Amino acid sequence: MTSTIGVARRSESSLLIAWAKRALLVLGLPIVLIVAWWLATANSTSFYWPPLRTILEVFGATWFEGRMGTDVAPSLVRLGAGYALALVLGVTVGVAVGSSPTLRAVVEPVLEFFRAIPPPVLVPVLILFAGIGDGMKVLVIVSGAIWPILLNTVEGVRSIDEVLRDTARCYRFRRRARLLHLVLRGASPQIVTGARQALSIAIILMVISEMFAATNGLGFSIIQFQRSFAIPQMFSGIILLGLIGVALSLLFRVVESRAMAWHRGLHHTQRGGN
Amino acid sequence: MKRTVRTAAVGAVLMLLAACGSSDEGASNGDGPDAVTVGLIPIVDVAPIYLGDEQGFFADRGIELTLETGQGGASTIPGVVSGQFQFGFANVTSLLIAQTKGLPLKVLTAGNSTTGDEDADFGGVVVPEDSDIEDAAGLAGKTVAVNQLNNIGDTTIREVVDQAGGDHSDIKFVELPFPDMPAAVEEGRVDAAWVVEPFLTITTKQGARQVASNFAATHTELMVAAYVTSRELIESNPDLVKRFTEAMNESLTYAQENPDEARRILGTYTEIDEDTAKDLTLPRWPTEINVDSVQRLADLANQHGLVDGEPDVRALLP
Repeated sequence: MTSTIGVARRSESSLLIAWAKRALLVLGLPIVLIVAWWLATANSTSFYWPPLRTILEVFGATWFEGRMGTDVAPSLVRLGAGYALALVLGVTVGVAVGSSPTLRAVVEPVLEFFRAIPPPVLVPVLILFAGIGDGMKVLVIVSGAIWPILLNTVEGVRSIDEVLRDTARCYRFRRRARLLHLVLRGASPQIVTGARQALSIAIILMVISEMFAATNGLGFSIIQFQRSFAIPQMFSGIILLGLIGVALSLLFRVVESRAMAWHRGLHHTQRGGN
Repeated sequence: MKRTVRTAAVGAVLMLLAACGSSDEGASNGDGPDAVTVGLIPIVDVAPIYLGDEQGFFADRGIELTLETGQGGASTIPGVVSGQFQFGFANVTSLLIAQTKGLPLKVLTAGNSTTGDEDADFGGVVVPEDSDIEDAAGLAGKTVAVNQLNNIGDTTIREVVDQAGGDHSDIKFVELPFPDMPAAVEEGRVDAAWVVEPFLTITTKQGARQVASNFAATHTELMVAAYVTSRELIESNPDLVKRFTEAMNESLTYAQENPDEARRILGTYTEIDEDTAKDLTLPRWPTEINVDSVQRLADLANQHGLVDGEPDVRALLP
């Protein structure tokens, strides 16, 4: 009796220790960096390196008194639209190209060409096609974010196990079922990898797209602050951008772990785990 | 131990300071010219400094010029404050904004000014040929392209729209680089665009109409830009600042008196072709600063919310 309580206690405390260790691992470096930044700038009189304290003081007033709605929300909406469009286009084209060796041979050089063009230099060209509104900014995001998704999808579709393909054929899977359960599911680990890379590219391009012909947005605000010599506000914007990046990648991980749970399970059993 | 380290550090800093001091003095004593870097934008407005450099006005005063071109006030002003540039060229509204943020800048001499002629100035608002906008008041409620938001372009446009009886609060300004504006106007992507030379000549040759003259109408002697330095340089090397200002003034006067020379020099540092250079309207290049016009821009900046508090015009001007 007493021994079981002891075991329970021990496992509880060891769980607590493991948890604390993990928290320390995750939060340790950020805390060290923040403290270093704070100390290094504490007595700074340099105009361009304001104390971290000043930056944090203006943070609330800068972003939570109106700008969340007028600048941050439009940016995130464009980011969401561009990212979603890149996903749909990338996966659709990727599946088509991955499924057909002929098509692949035809389009691969062209894809490599477009992939190599940095999206920021496309902005003036995109302005000619899409004008200067939100459409252009979404296109800029798509033009950069689509590549990792597309190329990973092609690879993913191409590398689906031949035995699985034959099996699906033997069982006379219909087109739709084959696409959903064989092609997309088989390629999904790679699609997810591409989508993860695309997310960080999309965030960068969200900022870049707002450097041209913009009237609102997070990147736009940061540049306006820089130009009007509002340096603490500019730094607060950069911090906010970083926080949004962290939040989005966490969100991605949650979605990924839900959607790919089957894959991890499969992986586990294949490796002989239980 | 700690103490010796600190003493050594202080010693090193003192030696560095001494080295800096002696090199400054040495240069002005005739050990060779002072190397000076000026931050500016490669546009029509800065023709005088290129002319003056060519004519030897700076070399005569022991100054060896390096002209560093950049994006505009937003990059020039930090360069001047950090000491990367000894002098810089920036528009007055940028300077006023910088002043309210406490940047230690001081205007030395005028950069360029409006011609004061509303029908022939070096900047204005143009609309496509078939636009229904007839005058400045018609810009209310329209999309107007400017090269930089919350700066001298939009603040003077708001002013002329108000003067013409329109409402400036519903003009939608968008940012476009000047070189992209002729295409944007021609294709009707914007309702109007604020352009300066050579783009004013280029767009009007393409058929665009000018509907507002935002500089001349804001103030007939509006000083648009100025040459500045940091307070630090004024304190550490007043002689250099004095010689630069004199050379700059001589250059401005030379450009003002020899417009053909000014047109010729454009071809050396811009991509402006000869025909356009011949036709474009040059700004005026007086040497005196029109304080009244700077105050006007300060009031407008305050009125339009470009600055948090009232700029201290006296602190900025010499």
